[in-house]
Amino acid sequence: MVNLILKDIIIQKNTIIIYIATIILYLLVEVSPIFLGVLYSVVFIMTAFSTDDKGNANILLNSLPYTRKEVVSSKYMGALIFTSVIIFIIYLGDFFLNGKGEVFLWREILLIIGLVMVTISFILPISYKFKSKHLVMILVGLVGIYLVTITLLIPNLHDILRGFVQNFLALQETQMYFVAILITVILYIGSWLLSIRIYERKAF
Amino acid sequence: MMENVIELQHIHKSFKGFEIKDFSINVKKGFVTGFIGGNGAGKSTTIKLIMNLLKQDSGTVSVFGMDYKKHEKEIKERIGFVYDENIFYENLTLKDMKRIIKPAYKNWDDNAFQRYVNEFELPLNKSMKTFSKGMKMKASLAIALAHHAELIIMDEPTAGLDPIFRRELLNILHELMQDEDRTIFFSTHITTDLDRIADYITFVHNGEHIFTKEFYKIEEEYAIVKGTLDLLDRETEQEFISIRKTNTGFEALTADKNRVINIFGDTVIVEKPTLEDIMYYTKKGR
Repeated sequence: MVNLILKDIIIQKNTIIIYIATIILYLLVEVSPIFLGVLYSVVFIMTAFSTDDKGNANILLNSLPYTRKEVVSSKYMGALIFTSVIIFIIYLGDFFLNGKGEVFLWREILLIIGLVMVTISFILPISYKFKSKHLVMILVGLVGIYLVTITLLIPNLHDILRGFVQNFLALQETQMYFVAILITVILYIGSWLLSIRIYERKAF
Repeated sequence: MMENVIELQHIHKSFKGFEIKDFSINVKKGFVTGFIGGNGAGKSTTIKLIMNLLKQDSGTVSVFGMDYKKHEKEIKERIGFVYDENIFYENLTLKDMKRIIKPAYKNWDDNAFQRYVNEFELPLNKSMKTFSKGMKMKASLAIALAHHAELIIMDEPTAGLDPIFRRELLNILHELMQDEDRTIFFSTHITTDLDRIADYITFVHNGEHIFTKEFYKIEEEYAIVKGTLDLLDRETEQEFISIRKTNTGFEALTADKNRVINIFGDTVIVEKPTLEDIMYYTKKGR
């Protein structure tokens, strides 16, 4: 399993330097670490996924002594590991470049991990179920919905989101955190099991 | 008793527009089995079933006497594979591919890998997309041999290769078969490849297993028969799998050479069939 997670790094080794360079660039212009953390984690996880999906890597992986359960599980475990590493890099960078990184850091980190987990919980099963070219259609559809939402339905969507993040970071009740974490974990595990079911029925 | 390394029993699998019904084949341990059939005959589907890339609707697949439900990893530890399509990450080098594949196997042998990379003259530091089809085939073989695969499964390994590469591959396979426990199962539609190397021939047509026979027995049993049209009537036509008639006479395939010689005697010419003849006339007869 660890091998499969390492594989996702090896197949992206040429782009890792670009990831780090752009993270530094964004930090210098003071883009929010939360936004960067979520964005880079999801991009890293999904780039690894689509690299496998584009070629015949699934034929290779399933001809090697791995079970399909392991192939899927490596994505879900890898997602948590990659997110942690990226958060570490971002906050390390933020600390050295901007001299920040002490106040209520753990809440930000929790928020990043939570948002990545929720995003991945939706994207992975859909990606396993549908072919890449359909994913583009789904993406176009989502962008469409988003545009309609901010222009017609909720013009202040961004303010609401910003408010949500502020509220989350300001929350004092540990109980609320506990509930949020629990829901996220349940969603993630559910998605994990669903992806295994989908992948085990696939033909290559 | 001869052991089977692969056993497919009563497999049913249906796709859109294609179906395998009650399909059973065995592959003998320690031999080279050539797997022939036209395009769309079910060769790739069979190989995917053997590799567990595809799951049957019903029936059983057993490899090394084990089934995939319980022993997926044990089985795959012992299989080497060469596919028709590219399975490597295009942007990675062979060295990177090794880094990914090596930890998957318990009995990976770095020295053996290096030896075959040298022997096959494969570059370790060039990206896989610069590899020709023949080089990719050799890279797959080097990987298969580096983990000492007992069973090597190849899907059309010679398709699209130039004659020199094909000859080289056949020589390599020949060498590999010096190891008595090793089994090679490979599909091809270039039947002349098999003349040099195959011990057994398994022939499929339209999702149906036509026969599995020892190569030399095929030549003993089957024959191409040529004669004049007046020899054919409703009764004698029954002797053939199918018949091709022209203005000057007929040419036909029989699965019982001796019987045909008894019936027609010297009035016909009896020739040794090629595998292509057998494939052609079988298709025509169905």
